[in-house]
Amino acid sequence: MSETSLRPPVPYTRYLNSTFSHASLMMLRRRRIVLAAVLSLSPLVIPLALAFLSEAAFSEDGNLIFVRLVEWLYLKAIAPLLALFFGCMLIGEDVELQTIPYLLTRPLPRSALVLGRFMAYLSISSTILVVSIAMVFAACTSVGNLSFSPETIELMAHYCAVAVLALLGYGAFAMFLGATTKHPIIFGILFTFGWQRIALYIPGMVDFITVEKYLMALLPKLATERENVVIRTALGEFQKQQLLIAGPKALAGLLIISGLFLGGTCLIVRWREYSAARAVAG
Amino acid sequence: MTPVIEAQTLSKWFGEVIAVNNLSLSIGSGVTGLLGPNGAGKTTFIKLALGLYGPSRGRLRVLGQTPRNNLGVLRRIGYCPEADKFYENMTGYEFVYWMNRFWGMMPAEARKKAEQACEIVKMSHRMDDVVSEYSKGMRQRIKVAQALATDPELLFLDEPMSGLDPEGREELFALIRKLGEEGRTVIFSTHILYEVERVTNTVVLLHNGCVLAEGDVHQIRDLIDEHPHAVTIACSEPHRMAAYFIDNPATLNIEFSDGRVTVRTSDPNGFYKTLNRVILDERIEVASVTCPDDNLQSVFNYLVK
Repeated sequence: MSETSLRPPVPYTRYLNSTFSHASLMMLRRRRIVLAAVLSLSPLVIPLALAFLSEAAFSEDGNLIFVRLVEWLYLKAIAPLLALFFGCMLIGEDVELQTIPYLLTRPLPRSALVLGRFMAYLSISSTILVVSIAMVFAACTSVGNLSFSPETIELMAHYCAVAVLALLGYGAFAMFLGATTKHPIIFGILFTFGWQRIALYIPGMVDFITVEKYLMALLPKLATERENVVIRTALGEFQKQQLLIAGPKALAGLLIISGLFLGGTCLIVRWREYSAARAVAG
Repeated sequence: MTPVIEAQTLSKWFGEVIAVNNLSLSIGSGVTGLLGPNGAGKTTFIKLALGLYGPSRGRLRVLGQTPRNNLGVLRRIGYCPEADKFYENMTGYEFVYWMNRFWGMMPAEARKKAEQACEIVKMSHRMDDVVSEYSKGMRQRIKVAQALATDPELLFLDEPMSGLDPEGREELFALIRKLGEEGRTVIFSTHILYEVERVTNTVVLLHNGCVLAEGDVHQIRDLIDEHPHAVTIACSEPHRMAAYFIDNPATLNIEFSDGRVTVRTSDPNGFYKTLNRVILDERIEVASVTCPDDNLQSVFNYLVK
């Protein structure tokens, strides 16, 4: 019996730490990270342009611009895109590059592989997104009617927290897709920008099968009501009145969805025979 | 003594493709060569033993336990895959280091073991270069290094000689022999009989997912030598060349095609002696001598029949 088999068991946190560190390193070395940062910072152009174009005809409310940018761009487009960019590759890339046998032949608990990598994704993409939102906030103060007051900073922090939750929900979904399908990006885009848009227009409770529903319920209360695009029907309105979700329920819903997808990913990684398709081809 | 690997009526199929078919075998400690042509089921058998696949039917035990999703078994195993796949933006050292970390080592130990493993495979001088800049042989060495770094009891090497230069092969032959002498179990797959002969006497012959034969490698070699042997000679005067073999009782058949003559003989040693003499004495210009039959396929065909 060799020295290795006589060693004491390795604590779970050590495996978690190793997969977290490895995934962070891999993400930071990718060119994709620059692209993600550029994408995240791109809305910054809008308040800066408006600040320079200070003619009366273009005058805008800084507060309103900030809220619109975060709600329309960051939460509905940039956060899902970042999640798809990084989430799909967390397991999917190893499958595609055929490096997964190296990982699956180590005594590494599959859940530690999934969770460590997910934590790496969440910390890096959250940093990018939070820094971008903060910079957009700062830029919006130059437009007018928005300043660094405790209330507005709290508003920004609230949006940042929702953005991180968006990365959590969409990222867990994207990671699951990466572990299960060959074309996770396509399925991810179809879900995020196809299904979620359609679900909003369908009367009834279909929109509960989206991530966006829960995110929207977590947004800060605003002076003006948000536009509601749903086609209103008596049954739909009744159902929604009965099942109105407030912040805590929405947060719980989002956490449950994320947990289900992460748990599903752990099971898939544990049981799927990843190189079986290639074995058949060979 | 308990076998290290024991398979009973083991089968694995992927859809309609049967990769391993009703295979029963027992492998003990020491070095064992898994020999077979492409598609014989060598890699599938190794992946079953690693727990990457679950058996479709039958039973498989590795180190006394079922290997599928068994972290305790994986802790005692090293694996060098056949596929030439890496994290290309890492250095060779980093690759081995992270594989050690995934094994459960602390950073300091992972660093030390990675350096040692790179030294064993003679990659210390290039270990800080990015993997994408390595030659095929260097990549192969790093793959072997990551398998060795954790000091495994049982080592699976899937086509480990692939891409290695002659010097690298000799070093790896010596290393495998040494590991076997240390009491470890090394299972390596190849489709080249010569590679098995260089490191072990124990061989398992696989064909179409079945065990065709197992035991002493020299018996396989004798079988090859007994089997009709074809040699193709590309030369300036094929008919004149053929004349020196036509009367030999060991010659079974002679064919001509496009400046070549193919001689089928039951006495390869006698044939090569005659060929050498003809080339030297008769001054027939020879462009190439190839042995289309000097591989396992003919023996497999023969055994299957």
